[in-house]
Amino acid sequence: MYGIIDCDNCYVSCERVFRPDLEGKPVVVLSNNDGCVVARSNEAKALGIKAGMPYFKLQEQFPDRKIAVFSSNYELYAELTGRVIDIIRQEAPSYFRYSIDECFVYLEGMQDINLKEWGENLHRRIFKSVGMPVSIGIGPNKTLAKLASHFAKKHPGYRHCCMIDTDDKRIKALKLFPIEDVWGIGRRYTTRLKEYGINTAYDFAQHTIGWLHATFHNIVVERTWRELNGDDCVPNEQLAAKKSICTSRSFPGMIDDFAQLRTHVSNYAARCAEKLRQQGSVAGIVSIFLSTNPFREDLPQCWSFREQRLITPTSSTTTIVQTASALLEKIFRKGYQYKRAGVIVMGVGPKSPIQQDLFDHNAEQFQKMRRLDEVIDRINRLQGSETIVLGAQQYTSRDKDGNAAGKAQVFANAIRHDFRSPNPTTRWTDIIRLK
Amino acid sequence: MSSDITIIKGNFSTELPLPLAPGIRAGFPSPAQDYLHDTLDFNNDMIHHKEATFYARVDGDSMRDAGILPGDIAVIDRSLDPRDGDIVVAFIDGEFTIKRLDLTHRPDGYIELHPANPSYKTIRIDNPDQFRVWGVIIWTIHNWRNY
Repeated sequence: MYGIIDCDNCYVSCERVFRPDLEGKPVVVLSNNDGCVVARSNEAKALGIKAGMPYFKLQEQFPDRKIAVFSSNYELYAELTGRVIDIIRQEAPSYFRYSIDECFVYLEGMQDINLKEWGENLHRRIFKSVGMPVSIGIGPNKTLAKLASHFAKKHPGYRHCCMIDTDDKRIKALKLFPIEDVWGIGRRYTTRLKEYGINTAYDFAQHTIGWLHATFHNIVVERTWRELNGDDCVPNEQLAAKKSICTSRSFPGMIDDFAQLRTHVSNYAARCAEKLRQQGSVAGIVSIFLSTNPFREDLPQCWSFREQRLITPTSSTTTIVQTASALLEKIFRKGYQYKRAGVIVMGVGPKSPIQQDLFDHNAEQFQKMRRLDEVIDRINRLQGSETIVLGAQQYTSRDKDGNAAGKAQVFANAIRHDFRSPNPTTRWTDIIRLK
Repeated sequence: MSSDITIIKGNFSTELPLPLAPGIRAGFPSPAQDYLHDTLDFNNDMIHHKEATFYARVDGDSMRDAGILPGDIAVIDRSLDPRDGDIVVAFIDGEFTIKRLDLTHRPDGYIELHPANPSYKTIRIDNPDQFRVWGVIIWTIHNWRNY
């Protein structure tokens, strides 16, 4: 069985951990640069605030409403969700982080455990320890687990955990489930499916695979159909599609040698860094996964995943390769024949506008950059981030003729984050105060 | 010769070593395990639930007589069930407060939060079912000398 653990209104819930007074009140979190709404509390949703609503419209439409507004504080969200992952790692045999606020678990070898109870306890432990409410869905495959998690989120009666473990429950759930909310379907297919009179997951699952193939020619849609009918066929790397970059390969043979694996993983990591630089992004989390060949039932099986948060989000090849190698060292086990490996970078966000020229492909410069990176990271770790920024990270203010006016303004202040909360878990200066 | 303080070799590593993830089949026991207790690591030995542990700075002197002074660092474990007599963190009237939890009046329908300083008042919670302790203090750290 698979499970998915999904943080409820993740960013809002993170903010509420240190602002318990906002419990039960409308709260929104704004995107980078305070542009538009990216997260809403249930109360904010009930007011009619839509995801993606520009901030100025929010001010126009709700001038008198008391709505708590936060700038996004990814440092805080990454730290608190990392704690959630740490708990999941202790409670589940294997896990796969899908995005900053969602994590799949593979519940093998748990036949003697009541999984519904296991899920309820997991929610209780996460909520108590971290203050994060989660919804848990359990099912025979990832699509049905995801579907179950929607029910867990919507209906308090499930006590945060819904499990689809019989065919009766599966069919009942499919009949109640709107097609547009099915994982892997998306808006584009929803419109077309509705033209064919398909409104629920059940309508969709009732069509033949032949019809589906002839109509859509799309492997993701077909996999979704198979999973709704009970098969288990969505591969792990399809999970990594969301705001993350994945590079993974199956090996021609099988590999049990660490050095050989490390060469592969390093190359995947370098490729991820390249992709990041191409799109002008940086990543805050580096993760790797390893798996054996599931078709060789005669061999010991293993499915491992591990991630590492970076102190400073980066697109630097050196940093990402080193991090991936260190992770490999942690999860590599002797005696397994590995068939597949991959590197996924998550927490992908825009790079500051001036870092552009830093990470080019010159070897000597790499060495220098690496040393500089280390020193900067160390100082920023001890003194709080953005204590040291590169000279290039400073906007020079201009006088009225457009000439550089001398005094530089630190980059941190040039990006708008007017309502950013403190970082009580990552900076000594921001730890909570007790009266 | 006896002395009042026994000096033990300490490990002041800033790392919080991660425990071996359960579920991973480790074959042969690592020889390193035999030496695990050779050094003392505050992070390891004093913090048992790292994912539930938060730090706070004591701002007021309401717990003075309990030996908790302004500027002290409090180590909070949110995973513990609060017991009668625990020093706890609660969020009251828009701020975090540190007090001693008194559950003896629970059968009478209320609980109390006691300061440890006569110039502060006891806080009475009349709706204990809606009241949630934010976390239980497991340690406070007082700094005696600066570098």
